[in-house]
Formats: sequence, C-alpha cells, structure tokens
Amino acid sequence: MIRLITRRVGVMILTMLVVSIILFLALELNIDSVATKVLGPYSSDEQRQLWLEANGYNRPVFERYFSWAGSFIMGDFGESIRFRVPVADILWDRLGNTLILAAVTFGIMIPLSILLGVLSGMKEGSLMDRIISLICIITTSIPEFASAVFLSAIFVFSLKLLPGTSTMLTGFDPVQLILPAMVLVGYGFGYVARMTRASMAEVMSTHYIRTAVLKGLPYRQVITRHALRNALIAPFTIIMLQVNWLLSGVIVVEFAFAYKGFGALLLEASLNSDVYLIEACTMVAVCAAVLTQLIADIGYSYLNPRIRFS
Amino acid sequence: MKDNKNHPYISELKEGVDKGQLSRREFLRKSVLLGMSIPVAYAMSGLAMSEMASAATPTRGGNLRVSMRVKEITDPALFEWSEPTNVCRHIIEPLVQNGSDGLARPHLLEKWEASDDLKTWTLHLRKSIKWSNGDDFNADDVIFNFNRWLDPATGSSMQSQLVMLTEEIDTGAKNDDGTPQKSRVASQGAVTRVDEHTVRLQLNTPNIAIPEALATYTALILHRDFKGNFQNNPVGTGAYSLSTIKTGVTAVLKRRTEGAYWGDAPYLDQITYVDLGDDPSAELAAFASDQIDYNYETSSDQVEAINAIPHVTLLKAATAGTGLARMNVTQKPFDDIRVRRALTLAVDNEKVLQVGLQGLGSVAENHHVSPMHPEYAPLPKLKRDIKKAKQLLAEAGYPDGIDLRIDCVASPAWESNTCLVIADQVREAGIRLKVNIMPGGAYWDVWSSTPFGLTNWAHRPLGIQVMNLAYRSGGPWNETGYANPVFDKLLDQASATLDVGERRKVMVKLEKILQDDAIIIQPFWMNSYGAANKRVQGLTHHLMHEHQFNKVWIVS
Repeated sequence: MIRLITRRVGVMILTMLVVSIILFLALELNIDSVATKVLGPYSSDEQRQLWLEANGYNRPVFERYFSWAGSFIMGDFGESIRFRVPVADILWDRLGNTLILAAVTFGIMIPLSILLGVLSGMKEGSLMDRIISLICIITTSIPEFASAVFLSAIFVFSLKLLPGTSTMLTGFDPVQLILPAMVLVGYGFGYVARMTRASMAEVMSTHYIRTAVLKGLPYRQVITRHALRNALIAPFTIIMLQVNWLLSGVIVVEFAFAYKGFGALLLEASLNSDVYLIEACTMVAVCAAVLTQLIADIGYSYLNPRIRFS
Repeated sequence: MKDNKNHPYISELKEGVDKGQLSRREFLRKSVLLGMSIPVAYAMSGLAMSEMASAATPTRGGNLRVSMRVKEITDPALFEWSEPTNVCRHIIEPLVQNGSDGLARPHLLEKWEASDDLKTWTLHLRKSIKWSNGDDFNADDVIFNFNRWLDPATGSSMQSQLVMLTEEIDTGAKNDDGTPQKSRVASQGAVTRVDEHTVRLQLNTPNIAIPEALATYTALILHRDFKGNFQNNPVGTGAYSLSTIKTGVTAVLKRRTEGAYWGDAPYLDQITYVDLGDDPSAELAAFASDQIDYNYETSSDQVEAINAIPHVTLLKAATAGTGLARMNVTQKPFDDIRVRRALTLAVDNEKVLQVGLQGLGSVAENHHVSPMHPEYAPLPKLKRDIKKAKQLLAEAGYPDGIDLRIDCVASPAWESNTCLVIADQVREAGIRLKVNIMPGGAYWDVWSSTPFGLTNWAHRPLGIQVMNLAYRSGGPWNETGYANPVFDKLLDQASATLDVGERRKVMVKLEKILQDDAIIIQPFWMNSYGAANKRVQGLTHHLMHEHQFNKVWIVS
C-alpha cells in the first residue's frame, strides 16, 4: 500500500511538473505580451521594458521557470491583473465557496444516484428500472444552462420561493445554495446512477449472487453484503471524475447564479487574460485532478482486492 | 468679474429667446453655465422646473442594493468607465455635477464666474467643507487635482477636456519616424490660487464648456495627499465612506457619522454594489427575488422582461449615447475611403435601429453629433445606395466583393445584434462581413487598434466635447486613427465660438467632413434604461449613468 502511494505521488508530481512547464511556456514565453497584459494596452514601449527588467523577465526562460515554480510552491502566485491584489487573496476564498457548493452537491448527488442505480439495477427491465432510467436520461440530457433557466422560471419567477442569485453578500445563506445545487445534482446524478445500474445489473447476473440467493439468504443481505461492493468499483471512477467536473465544470452554474466561486473566477481570469490568475487556477485544477485520481486508486484497492498493485 | 451681477452675455441670450433664435432649453443651459443660479434661470427661461419636491416624506435608513460590475479602483483620474466612478462618487465629489436634466450645477464649488471674454474663469470653493480625515477642503486640493489632470505623465483623459489650459511643447526626444516628439503640458499661469477658497483658470482660447468639463466622470476631486491608489487611503468629502471593496464581488459604502457631511444629510444608511457578472438573466432573477433594488443599466433586449416583474419599474432617459461601427483609417483596407464609403452607403441606419435595438432610440447620421446637442445642425438625410457601394468597391479593386471582420462585445446583446444587422445589410453590396463576438475584456484590449469594431460611446452634453475626444488628431480616445488638419482647425474654431448659431455654422462643416470621410457607421442614438424596485423613491435614471443617491430613500 505504501509503495502504491509513493508511486502514485511520484506520478502525480511528474504530471504537475509537465503541466506547469506547458502552462508557463504557453503564457509567459512571449514576455512582451505579458507586459502588455499587466500594464494595459496604452502602456508605452519604455514602460514595458522597465517593467520587464524590474520583474526579472530578461533572464533566460529556464531560470525564469524555476523561480516561478519556486515561488508557486511557496504559495506566491503573483498579483492578479484584473483584481490588483495578490492572487492568493482571492483564490482560496473562491475555492472555498466552490468546495461548499461541491460538498452540498456531492452530499445529495452520490447517495441519491447510488440508491437509484442499485434500485434500478437490481431487477433489470422492471417497471421501477424503466421509470428511473427514463428520469436519469432526461435530466442528464438537459444542459446546465437550460435547467438553470427552467428552474429559475419555476422557483424564482413563478412560485417566488427561492432567491434568484447566490452572491452570499450578507453572509452564508444556505437557501441561496438550493438552486445551484439543484441544477448540478440534476445534471450529474443521472450519469452516476446509470453507471451504477449497469454495474449492478452485471453483478446481479453473476453466479455467486445466484448462489447466494439460492442458498436462501434474505434478498436485502444479498444486495448489501455481496452485490454492492463489487458493483461500486466502476461507478467509483465516475464519482471521482465528478470531483474534477465540480471544480471547473461549474462555470455555467456559477455564472448563471452569480455565485462567486472558482469556476466564475476561472472564467473572469480567462476573459480578461489575467495571466497569473489563470496559472494559479489551472494548477489548482490540475492538482485536484491528480489528487482525486490518487484517492480513486486507493479506493480501488480497498473495493477490489485483486487490484493491489503489488 | 462683477459680484451679484449677471454675465453681460445673458442679456444677449435673453434677447435671442425673445426673438425666437434660441430655444428656451439652450438659454437655460447657457445662463447656468455663465453662473446664474438654477431657479432664476428656470424662471427667466419660462420653463417649468422638473425637479419638483415629492409629495411623499422621505424616511431615513435602509440599504440600497445596486447591481453593477465592481471594477478595480486605483486612480480616479484614469477611470475609463462610469462604474468605478459611481462607487467613488459618494466618497469623493466633483466640483460641478450634472443634474438628471443635463444641466451642470456647482457642487464642491459655491459658484463659478466667467470673464466677459470667457477666457478667465474664477472658481469659488464652498467654505467649511472638511475631508473625512479632518483636513479643510481648500484651493490647494483643487490645484493639486488640476496639476495631475494636466500633467502628461498622469495620462488622464481630463487633459483633453481641458485642452485650452495646455500648450504643446517639444520633448526633445524623437519619434520612430524621426519627427520631434510633442507633448502637452499646462500653460504658464493656467491655474492659479487667488486665496484659500478661490482658484482662477486662464484659458488660451475662450470656452463656455468649462463647468461641463469639470463635471466629467474622471473629475472627482482627490485629497492633496493622494498617492496613486485610492483604495489604500479613501479620504473624501462625500457623505459616505468606503467600507468594503472586493473587485468583481461587491462594494459597500456606509453613511458617515451624523453632521460629518457638508451638505444635507442623505437618507440611506448604506449603499451596496453587487457584481452579478455579465449574465443579464442573473440580474433579472435578482430583481424578481428582491435581492437588488436598482441596476446600472437595463439593456434594450431586457426591457420587456423587466416590465413583466410587478414590483419593478422601468426608468428611461433619452441620451446622446451611441454605438459606433468605427473603422481605423490607418489600417488596411480602411485606409481606402472608397471601401469605407461603400460600407456606409450599404447600411440603412433606420433598419439597424429597428432590428438591432428594437427601435428603442432614434436614427443617427454617421457624424456623432446628436439633436440633443445644442450645436447640432441637420444635414440632408442619408440614403442607402447599393449600386454606388458596389461601384466604389470595384473602383477600390474589389469587383468580386470583399471579406471583412468586425469585432464587438458579447454583452450587452444589442452590440452584437447591431453588428449582425449591419453584416446582413452590407452583404447585398458584396461585402462579406464576419461578426467576431468577443468577451468584454478582450474587446477593450483592442478597441482603439482593431481595424473594424463596434464601440459603445456614452452620452456627453456637447457635440464639441465628443469631437475633441474622438476625432481630433491624436486625441486620447481617437479610435479611428483619424487625423485631418482641416477638421482640427474647424474644431478649434467651433470650441471657441460662444454664440450657438455661429457655432452651428462651423458644426455643419464638421459634421459634413465626418460624414463624407465615412469613418463611422453610426446607426442610432440610444435610450438608456434602468430598473428599480418600486420601494425606491427620489431616484432618476441619469442619462450619463451617474449615481447620485444623496436624495434617494427607501419606503419600508
């Protein structure tokens, strides 16, 4: 297990290294464009040259990369061009907001989708299976930007039950999380449920389940003790990938509900060519992606003793 | 400089009104600019004062929540947007303020006086105004701000507003092409301190629009110790203080302690700006669920949706704000006047107004002077002429048509809609125009350099103000790269001509030059819309998007 983790961490670091080099070269190789972005389109050549010199941009590119990566590891991401404050000041705040939204979404989505997936996979082709499958397919095929509008039309404009935007200006307000979480759960749960269903259905048709049923175990015990653990291996991957989706894929939802999270920040950074903010956001997203993969790998070996990477 | 006596020009103006040569509104504007108090001017003009006292009794307290993009605030003299000015306007104040009727009113000034030749302006500062740090507001503050505005190192657009206080000098350096590099600096003795509360401006050329220049949104008066970043030390004379600002999220202003403000105490306890991003549907939802009380602007395509929310009212102001499909004459193929003319000839402005803006405005004539501007002179109506357009294109070397691209922003939607309608119109003349819809930030990176782009221009009270900013050679916001010495000379003449009838005679020529040189397709003048919760009282949607909330209250 320890060997597995060390190996995985090694791969993780390598991945981040490669991504960081690509990212750095893509955004900072052309130093004139960096200076223009920082000082604005009206800056003079002279101002730009002075700025480049003062910030060490005249050094060779590898030297610059190492000093950039060094300060990155120390948590110094530079100053945001758009917000004119250190990137770290806004990044963690926004990331925290998105994690809250993601946690709420996960807390509802995962139990719900596993429950529905198991219920529908238990007896393939039953009425319950068909109804659940239909619901899953419909909700998953409605994109977030459409469901955000539909749900707002119902709960904000018609019923006047929920707040239309989620700015959390007057402090944390759980009611403001309902609509964004609803949209995210609606879009995400069907996918996980369908994966669980397929996996469950496959397990239910195996010999050992038939044996368990035939030897007279209560049906409930067959499901919880024998089928579920094996049926969860495939959906587990999907669930882990959803973490990445929630981190950067929530852009649409955060935009629609003016929720000040990581996705909205990434969007704003990209739209305004905010070099340092883009770098920090990308690295955070990559870091989250490799971390969840690490957790997924550890999870596998727990769920399936055959995968032990020894 | 005579005390308690009207400027001699006012009697001339009055005569003009009596003889029917001058409109009452124009008389009103000019007499106020010449230092007459507003009630007296209204009385003499015979117009009714629109700002009548409301029947309802204002109540104190409350928090006005305004939806607006919260942009970074560093140096108010460098603002390029009205949004950051609005956040600052209740903390730091201008010398002169534009009322919602478009008239300039003294604000930090008690009054101004113009000499008979309109070359010497005396600014009388209000006494007993205190800064929020306890210092007295005095002539040093005002001179400090003028010096900053006029210093080329500051880079403020105020320099071109106050070009009559500057002179051109040789910097000694050379441009890339070897010509001597020129710069503008304050002319000798342009701004002088008379006493503790009086400042004198000495103009090179007569100009009547000084008060209007001092009411521009870049002209908020900073404390004399200002060090380059307002957020770090937000000292002001205003009724509110900056409590929080988070760019892209929110700005909160709190009313200063009782009696700290020099003017009438405002009603609202707090003003909260909320940044809801670029999605107009988020703003609608926020209105519907009562999360905001007022917004910066409702774009024309949202008007119907706002009307459908029962507790919200739509506010309207006709403006000289516009959208320009402007061509940069220094870039190919727009350096060829035949290509530019072909474009303007192929567009029916009325059609663009009806389809692109749903008719929520009035038709414009490709010269950026509005019928709202006092010096406006009507020109013969523009006619769409496809045949001529095709012929010009062929002459320019494009007999089979031409492929062009226009850049515009994605939001508000009318900007891209307008471009799409224009593209549709010019197709008939063989011009294949691709509309490149860009995110706001990306467009504003290229707005002054892109060969062809649609730029949104805010309302300005005078035609000459717009022309000085946008079409004078080397003007700071000259996005077309237009440089025409004949035009510049006429513009100097127009800016120095006081009599509106005389100025109009020059204006005709200026308008005609701009129209003939075909550097802009200007389809329409826009109405400006805002929306407010019906609880909010005393609020007028300002035609220049200026937020003035000192007299606004909320009915509980």
